[in-house]
Amino acid sequence: MNPSHQPSSSTSEPLVALRGIDKRYVTPAGDFQALKNVSLDIGKGEFVALVGKSGSGKSTLLNLMSGIDRPSRGETVVAGAAIHDLPENRLARWRGRTVGVVFQFFQLLPTLTVVENVMLPMDFCDVHPPGRRRAIALDLLERMGIREQADKLPATLSGGQQQRAAIARALANDPPLIVADEPTGNLDSETARGVFELFRQLADGGVTVVIATHERRVDGIDRVVELTDGAVTGSEAAR
Amino acid sequence: MMSPSWSKVFRDFWRECARTSLVAFTIAIGIAAFSSVLASYAILTRELNKGWMETNPASATIRTDRVDDALVAEIAAQPGVAQVEARRTLTGMIKTGPVEWRNLVLFVVRDFEQVRVSTLKPQTGAWPPAVGEILIERDALQVARAGIGDVVTVKTGGKEQTLRLSGTVRDVGQAQARMENIVYGYITRDTLVRLGEEPFFNQVKLVISGDRLDESRIKTVTTDVRTFLERRGHPVSRVEIPAPGKHPHADLMGLFLLVMACFGLFALMLSGILVVNLMTALMAAQIRQIGVMKTLGATRWRIARIYFAQALLLGVAAILVGLPTGLLASRWLCRYFAVFLNFDVTSFAVPWWFFPPVLAVGALVPLLAAAVPVWKGCGVPVRVALDDFEVGRRKFGERRFDRALAGFGGFTRPLLLAVRNGFRRRARTTLTALTMALAGLSFMAALNVRASLINTFDHLFDAMNHDLAVNLSATHSLETATRAAFQTRGVLNVEGWLVTDGSAPEAASGPAKGGGLEAETPHEPNHSETKRFRAIGLPPETNLFNPYLLAGRRLQAGDTDALVMNSRLAALFPEIRVGDRVRFQIGGTTGDWRVVGLIREPFAGPTAYVPLGFLDRTEMKGMTNSLRIVFDPANPTGLDVLKANLDRNLEAASIRAVGVTGKADLRYAADQHMVMIYIFLLVVAGILAGVGGLGLATTMSLNVTERRREMGVLRAIGATPANLRLIVMTEAAIIGLMSWAAACVVAWPVSRALGEMLLRMMFKIGLDYRGDFRGPFIWLVLSVAIGVAASVLPAWRASRRPIREAVEYGG
Repeated sequence: MNPSHQPSSSTSEPLVALRGIDKRYVTPAGDFQALKNVSLDIGKGEFVALVGKSGSGKSTLLNLMSGIDRPSRGETVVAGAAIHDLPENRLARWRGRTVGVVFQFFQLLPTLTVVENVMLPMDFCDVHPPGRRRAIALDLLERMGIREQADKLPATLSGGQQQRAAIARALANDPPLIVADEPTGNLDSETARGVFELFRQLADGGVTVVIATHERRVDGIDRVVELTDGAVTGSEAAR
Repeated sequence: MMSPSWSKVFRDFWRECARTSLVAFTIAIGIAAFSSVLASYAILTRELNKGWMETNPASATIRTDRVDDALVAEIAAQPGVAQVEARRTLTGMIKTGPVEWRNLVLFVVRDFEQVRVSTLKPQTGAWPPAVGEILIERDALQVARAGIGDVVTVKTGGKEQTLRLSGTVRDVGQAQARMENIVYGYITRDTLVRLGEEPFFNQVKLVISGDRLDESRIKTVTTDVRTFLERRGHPVSRVEIPAPGKHPHADLMGLFLLVMACFGLFALMLSGILVVNLMTALMAAQIRQIGVMKTLGATRWRIARIYFAQALLLGVAAILVGLPTGLLASRWLCRYFAVFLNFDVTSFAVPWWFFPPVLAVGALVPLLAAAVPVWKGCGVPVRVALDDFEVGRRKFGERRFDRALAGFGGFTRPLLLAVRNGFRRRARTTLTALTMALAGLSFMAALNVRASLINTFDHLFDAMNHDLAVNLSATHSLETATRAAFQTRGVLNVEGWLVTDGSAPEAASGPAKGGGLEAETPHEPNHSETKRFRAIGLPPETNLFNPYLLAGRRLQAGDTDALVMNSRLAALFPEIRVGDRVRFQIGGTTGDWRVVGLIREPFAGPTAYVPLGFLDRTEMKGMTNSLRIVFDPANPTGLDVLKANLDRNLEAASIRAVGVTGKADLRYAADQHMVMIYIFLLVVAGILAGVGGLGLATTMSLNVTERRREMGVLRAIGATPANLRLIVMTEAAIIGLMSWAAACVVAWPVSRALGEMLLRMMFKIGLDYRGDFRGPFIWLVLSVAIGVAASVLPAWRASRRPIREAVEYGG
């Protein structure tokens, strides 16, 4: 925990605003209610952990705020955009520019080098001038401490290095929001600590970071939101 | 109740129904191709020979001078002879309008109601033809450009006469008139008289008694009849003994079908490649299930049986689709061949022996193709199968090739992704590209063979520096004939040649005829007892004949006993080489000849070219029976008008032209054969392209399924559905490009070998190879288009998949 950090959720407009969210899945085994009437605000520059047991709805909530999924009912407003209403193509562009997604298994594209992986979202969203994309990507890798791995293929990197590369990719388009589902679930504790430090630094720089995790105690976290059976059962400052 | 193993077989099959259907459909194409050709072979060989035998074909045809009814009766009484009929065949010309003459082969029949040997079947109109009427072979109506009821003008060596076209007949023994550009006509003896001809017959068609398929007995009986005729003072000029019980074109058709069957089998083998791809992917996806089954006590063989059963199911599904399709296609093919070979198919029933090979091949190909992936997949140890998410798969980047590939950049990341993705499943990509490459190869080969055939024909026809060969009904004064020809406006040059008979001395038994009046049998018999040929006397210094020399030299001024063989004559006398001295009877004189050259001339019969001066020593001095004419290309008069004027001028000089063969007509006939080869190769290319395209679609479907998670990631980081579609389609297009490159590399040598083989098969000549450089460009566009088309569905499905499902957070 960074004691100097002051979360801004209470003083400014929230970056993520979820209102009365229901999410229901139709499965062969019957309907499954993943989220029930969830309302949640997350402020700009806040580092939030969604915690709960497996099946509690953490990943579903992350999917909704990142535009990966749509609610069955309710409103999802992120960075000023009502994303529950956006058509698919606009949603894809919005996601590429507004949200950086970090996965548990890194999910770097194996046929692209590390730097190419980082440049890929820039290509999709046309955010930076083409001539500057590599320099920006290399700068991000420098910030992640893996500049020397830039031209290697992901298969040749360690788990920690791959996750740093994945975070660099998530930051490629300067998104105001980073979401990460179990970002350290596949890493040893020391590497995991390094990843959380990175998130903390990002939040200190004004990026909102929301992670889903099984662990209640995460270093550097501002707020813990607890989910139980699809409902928010607690939201408290971590300090 | 179905056992759990079989339940798994069917349910797994159903679960992957889209992909398995695609593969089953591809195998079905191969089965359809193979079974259609096999069924066609079974139907056509039966129907062709059956139709042929139904005409009661002559066991032998003996050409002599005059045959009357009494002589026919005497021949019929000879031992071993079952039936005899007298006939006559002569050449002439026919026209419907005021201008255009067409070559005519006229068959004179004694009594149409009593035809027993080599029978004709009435088709439409009158039967039998009355005096002053002519029947035409059904396929020749288009050549004659006439309809039933029209009045046509016919001329032979006698006089020009109008006849009424009163009906059509089917003469199975004749080749397709359209392809030969000849009209076959049938008249009575009384009509022959109206044409100014003497009403005699000069052919004896006989059918032997007993086993009519016994060739040695046919020869014995024919020799006895020949001896009988000669003893009775009737010289025999030619004896023809066709292969018993076999249509004259049966071998050619069999050869074609054999080549097509090879391609059908080939297509089937290619579809097997798709089974390899499918089963390899399936085994990789099922590896955990295999681990579980092993922990439950299943042996390797027991598990393998499940997957072999799936492969067998693919084969069964493919047979269910491919077999009926093949049978339907065979009907189309049979009809095509029936038109081409001029016979009717009375039944499309296939014999019992057709089914076992089709069923065996249809079932075996998927099983054999699945053997390696299934056996390998089922051999994975239990622990590895349960632990490893992607057993046996090396990650991209572990191989040196991957790292080298990663070194190539310079494109946008989505394009790089598409390019490199193409190399992730290298075996799969290679096999897929291979099937596409073979389609490309066939396509380019079709164009190259066509270009080479055109090139070859160009060279062959370049030898003919004249526009028209005019055969006269008799020998005429060279001076009179050339003067008459020169009087025709637009005639630039005329040469008079002498066409006569030639033979090896032991075969020669009758005097050579001077003119070209009596027709040769239009098509060569399968077997002939005699070795006769055509001898042409021409000025050695002629510039109207510039043949392609295969060996030796051409005739030259001062030659007296020099002889140049054409390739067909060389084939008739394979023992004769350039430089040899040979004894031939030419123009009624037996003498020694020096073979000085060998020329390529595939479309003429066996021919010897000798100096005209030699024939001057015979009674034909200063005479001609065949004119070679060059037209002024600047002359505005049309060719038909020019021909008509030439004919009129010759008639005015009392010279009767009985055969006019234009260079363009010959070229047309040659081109018709070429079109057949070209279309055949294009059809093969189309089938292979279909198989290749479906293979690519299967591959892309497998690739997309395996990269489901990556697709989700791409969507999560901002890729639109259109971006995903573009990536998938680009990957497919790149596989198409790879196949294109591979096809280009091998197209040249393969096209050359293929063209050479086809030409030797059809015309017994070599190929003047020329590549068609449009081929690679056209195929480039086509292969990319096929790639894109084949990936449309997988790409669309990839872009439609919800990101959440693809990413599978698991929360």
